[in-house]
Amino acid sequence: MPLDSSIYTLSGLRLDGRRWNELRRLHAQMGTQAAADGSAYVEMGNTKIICTVDGPQEQRRTGMRDQGNEAKIEVELGLAGFSGVDRKRRARNDKRVQELQHTIATTFATTLFTHLYPHSTISIHLHVLSQDGSILAAALNAATLALIDAGIPMSDYIAACTVGSTAGMSEKEEESDPVLDVNGLEENELPFLTVGSTGDGDRVNCLVMETKCQVARLEGMLSVGLDGCRQIRGILDGVVRAHGRKLLQGKVS
Amino acid sequence: MTSLKRPHASTTPTTTLSSKTYLRTLKSGKVQKIVRELYLRQDIPCSSQLCSACLDLQPSGFHKKTAPFVLSPTPAGTKNYPQGHYLVPDTNAFLSAMDLFESEGVFQDVVVLQTVLEEVKNRSLPLYNRLIALTKNDGKRFYVFFNDFRLETFVQREAGETINDRNDRAVRQSCIWYAEHLQQAVSARKSARCPAVVMLSDDRDCLRKAKAEGVTCSTLEDYVFALPDADRLLDMVASSKENRVTKEGKAQLLYPDYLSMSAMLTGVKSGTLHQGNFNVSPYNYLEGTVHVPAFDRSLIIQGRENSNRAVSGDIVVVEVLPKDQWKAPSSKVIEEEDVGKNENPENEDGAAEGIVTEQERRALQEEVKRVHGRSTEGQAQPTAKVVGIIKRNWRQYVGHIDKDSVRSRAKESRAQQTVFLVPMDKKVPKIRVRTRQAASLLGQRVLVTIDSWDRESRYPVGHFIRSLGELETKGAETEALLLEWDVQYRPFPKTVLDCLPAEGHGWKVPASTDDPGWQGRRDLRDLLVCSIDPPGCVDIDDALHAKKLPNGNFEVGVHIADVSHFVKPGNAMDKEASLRGTTVYLVDKRIDMLPSLLGTDLCSLKPYVERYAFSVIWEVDSNADIVSSSFTKSVIRSREAFAYEAAQLRIDDQSQQDDLTQGMRHLMMLSKKLRAKRMAAGALNLASPEVRVETESETSDPVDVKTKQLLDTNQLVEEFMLLANISVAAKNYEAFPQVALLRRHAAPPKTNFEELSNQLKTKKGMELKTDSSRALADSLDACQDPANPFFNTLVRILATRCMMSAEYFCSGTQSYPEFRHYGLASEIYTHFTSPIRRYADLEAHRQLAAAIDYEPLDASLQSKSKLEGVCKNINVRHRNAQMAGRASVEYYVGQALKGRVLEEEGFVMRIFSNGFVVFVPRFGIEGLIRLREMSGEEGREPESVFNAEEYWLQIQGKEVERKVELFQKIKVRISDEAEEGTGKRKIRLQLV
Ligand SMILES: [Zn+2]
Repeated sequence: MPLDSSIYTLSGLRLDGRRWNELRRLHAQMGTQAAADGSAYVEMGNTKIICTVDGPQEQRRTGMRDQGNEAKIEVELGLAGFSGVDRKRRARNDKRVQELQHTIATTFATTLFTHLYPHSTISIHLHVLSQDGSILAAALNAATLALIDAGIPMSDYIAACTVGSTAGMSEKEEESDPVLDVNGLEENELPFLTVGSTGDGDRVNCLVMETKCQVARLEGMLSVGLDGCRQIRGILDGVVRAHGRKLLQGKVS
Repeated sequence: MTSLKRPHASTTPTTTLSSKTYLRTLKSGKVQKIVRELYLRQDIPCSSQLCSACLDLQPSGFHKKTAPFVLSPTPAGTKNYPQGHYLVPDTNAFLSAMDLFESEGVFQDVVVLQTVLEEVKNRSLPLYNRLIALTKNDGKRFYVFFNDFRLETFVQREAGETINDRNDRAVRQSCIWYAEHLQQAVSARKSARCPAVVMLSDDRDCLRKAKAEGVTCSTLEDYVFALPDADRLLDMVASSKENRVTKEGKAQLLYPDYLSMSAMLTGVKSGTLHQGNFNVSPYNYLEGTVHVPAFDRSLIIQGRENSNRAVSGDIVVVEVLPKDQWKAPSSKVIEEEDVGKNENPENEDGAAEGIVTEQERRALQEEVKRVHGRSTEGQAQPTAKVVGIIKRNWRQYVGHIDKDSVRSRAKESRAQQTVFLVPMDKKVPKIRVRTRQAASLLGQRVLVTIDSWDRESRYPVGHFIRSLGELETKGAETEALLLEWDVQYRPFPKTVLDCLPAEGHGWKVPASTDDPGWQGRRDLRDLLVCSIDPPGCVDIDDALHAKKLPNGNFEVGVHIADVSHFVKPGNAMDKEASLRGTTVYLVDKRIDMLPSLLGTDLCSLKPYVERYAFSVIWEVDSNADIVSSSFTKSVIRSREAFAYEAAQLRIDDQSQQDDLTQGMRHLMMLSKKLRAKRMAAGALNLASPEVRVETESETSDPVDVKTKQLLDTNQLVEEFMLLANISVAAKNYEAFPQVALLRRHAAPPKTNFEELSNQLKTKKGMELKTDSSRALADSLDACQDPANPFFNTLVRILATRCMMSAEYFCSGTQSYPEFRHYGLASEIYTHFTSPIRRYADLEAHRQLAAAIDYEPLDASLQSKSKLEGVCKNINVRHRNAQMAGRASVEYYVGQALKGRVLEEEGFVMRIFSNGFVVFVPRFGIEGLIRLREMSGEEGREPESVFNAEEYWLQIQGKEVERKVELFQKIKVRISDEAEEGTGKRKIRLQLV
């Protein structure tokens, strides 16, 4: 039996050695799949996601309810059978996956200029290669990069991360700390939320919380979460700029 | 995917990434591979107050708090380390000597490495919890150093290296780092004294490597030897295997080996083996039973070889023996004290006698002979042998040293010798203990623990923890029974007392109704409320009122102390209360669940003062049917606190016509109707022998023993408490179908009653129907013997022992039909009415408060798993508290009878082939009379004939010749005698 997250009260350290306000290693790359219109690969710790974007392209299925003068955002998320601890296949119509897809679609509807592409579809394909918590946040970050790579106009980056709360671990309720960027183990033990924001963390585009947590703790969690989003935005921005520079150099040479 | 991976800048510049991969085997047998990231850092402090570098580096938490540094700048020195030292024990040091680390005054300034902590947790959860408690104890200065997260001390497991070797290396690496780091810190301060960093280990290989690497190290024994008071301390070290084996070289293996864990799991899964709880018979220490789901009746395990080192309480895996080896349950009393009297504890290999001693073999063989003599068809029960242990449930045991096992009695003898410790609990075998203080521990109550039970040792091996004082002194015996039943009796720590209201006894219900304390509370101060309790009750949980309404119905209120107002979930006081679970009532003292400021004053619904309460108010019609019910937090003022008797007198006194008395009469009238309805529904009226010990008020020396009297007012209070509990249970369940804390009482399986109903049939021609609680209640009522009015109670006492015990549970873990409380014949039930003395009630209060939207439900009460943990604990605490209470009564009854010889009426409640058990109602005691004691000569059994089918025993001795039958009324002489071997006082019964 390895130690559990109750060690936080002893040391202020989390199970993987991070402190409360530290992100996991975030590694991102753009343009990984040449065949797609846009693509990106994101690792947040051991959560690894590939994202490809196709479109905007003409809506395939006509006769369906046409959204009229806006592009439709389609999201398809696949969890690889080997991505979790146990090898198992998830059905395509798994409720949880459907909910994630819906959340991602509605989140990007707030930033993408869909009105520029009437009668067309933008499809985002996400492939989760490895799961270690914060799937939704990593998916949002990967999609952001892939959409930029695809050159789809948007108002701003969406940067997302998760925040947990060490509630219940500490002696007193008031002393519970928010913990940034939860990994898979923490996700199982702690209440957590996923927040996605734009700008300098002043606009929340996505906020998902499925676990129970006391209202009083929410404010602290959210502020730490937005701070995390700000850090992630900085990293994503760096990746985009580096990628752009490389493209330009490629053009020149 | 490696092509995508590139070196990258870390997001947090102070950390370096590593990873940890390990395999995990699940309960299902599945193997998982887990990969975890590991962020190595350099800001983990050494926590020595000598060091300023770490202090500057230490980051703060979200709340800007930093942990204070733990290790003293001037740690104590010893002979070997005069400059002072910090200890770094390895895993085995903690595992074998936790008692030592816990002792006061020594073993301070200890660095607990993360590696070690993790290993301790793997090996023993209780020890891990004790270690964690030590790190929270300010005086001990234990610091947990997270060496696996610090860059300099992190050690990667090398190819081919065992986990143990890797961990040992990690410990040494940390010692090296600490020593260097302290050196730097000390030179930065320009002070001369640099404490040594001492690694404690008993692993020779590790010690050798440590010496080679320049690590200061010592074995535990050498270290303790250099301390003052080394003898006492050394006894507290668990005897390690190494120490024991040295003497004989090669020991003979007495017991069969256990199966491997995976073999057991596979066997259990495939149904060839069975898992269950090992229980030893209180009358025969060589016979145990294991109840497993696959068999209706418990499996019998007979003899030392078959029980194969299992100790009562262990979770074992058993294999059922072939049918021709099945045995009937023993009909004979066998006590270890008699059989194994002359064994020599030093004689370890037991080569002369083997695993089963000659006496034991004879005792069991006789058994077999008797069984063979009769027609045994149908008598034999499935018999099994233990093949492995899933979990040991060893605890600390209280006992005394077997005088005959001590070789040298000279007080000043410091020779180490091995002695036998005889546990108080008869189900636990003697424990072999090595000590240097045998002589001074003779005649004392001592606390020991079992360390191991190896194949080559007939008895388990343990070590001393401490002495509780002389045998038979009140202090020692009380502490002994508290320890035996694991009752937390130490004074409340400061952190708990800090949670009390600052006003102390001066706290009052706020005068102004605008005060936040009044928010959401109904003002019920004008109701004529009174409380009825046992005489001398100071923690008054409940009060009642009733008044007639204009429409002819009645308003009845049950008002319960509002403890949840004072005890907030999750604070130190709540945690302590949840651990204690219940208040424990002993004859001469009470061990409170909550500090007495709350229990006996601020929460207690004392008369004439205003108190916060949680009220359940019903409108009932004159048939006592509920018309409506409501729940509210309130403020009440009790008009009077009655004792049961006083209340009875007041109700019966027709000259009293005031409203309060009238209210009590309404209550009385309604309670009788409620009771009648409950009985009609099939509630059981069970009995357990209850006696009260009257003590002299000052010295609390027992004066007399009286059986408890039941008055109508007892039942009045009981009925309304039941009603309140049922109403609250329904409300809480409605509001929180998944997490309501409820109490259930399962219907007893039919086989439980087999024996009793057979006995009644053969002896009295009576029939016990057990199809439903109603049928049982009726047939119990019918068990009457006109010549013997006590017979009915006796049957009820026996029936009670066939019942399952009621238990707390979380509603989400059972389906609704399983909620049923069999004894009370209620669909749903909880405990609500005694929050001062039961934690379950406190939780029910919190849930009810949330159910009526008084306050939000705390997170701890929303989690099924947490609530299950709470239930599990309070179930155990509840049972232990009852046992401790009973043991206390028993002790005091013994004291009250001291030096007296009385003749009393008794009833035979069980018959063995070599004795019988007599119950004496007058004192509520149950005692064994053995044939051996009935013959004139010591130690010789008179001739006898035993008939197990008809439950009689014919004694044909030279002096005595008589027949004893089950349920027979007999006269016994009660006296007390000091047991020869131990000087322990014991009640003795003799047939007159
Ligand atoms: Zn330091």
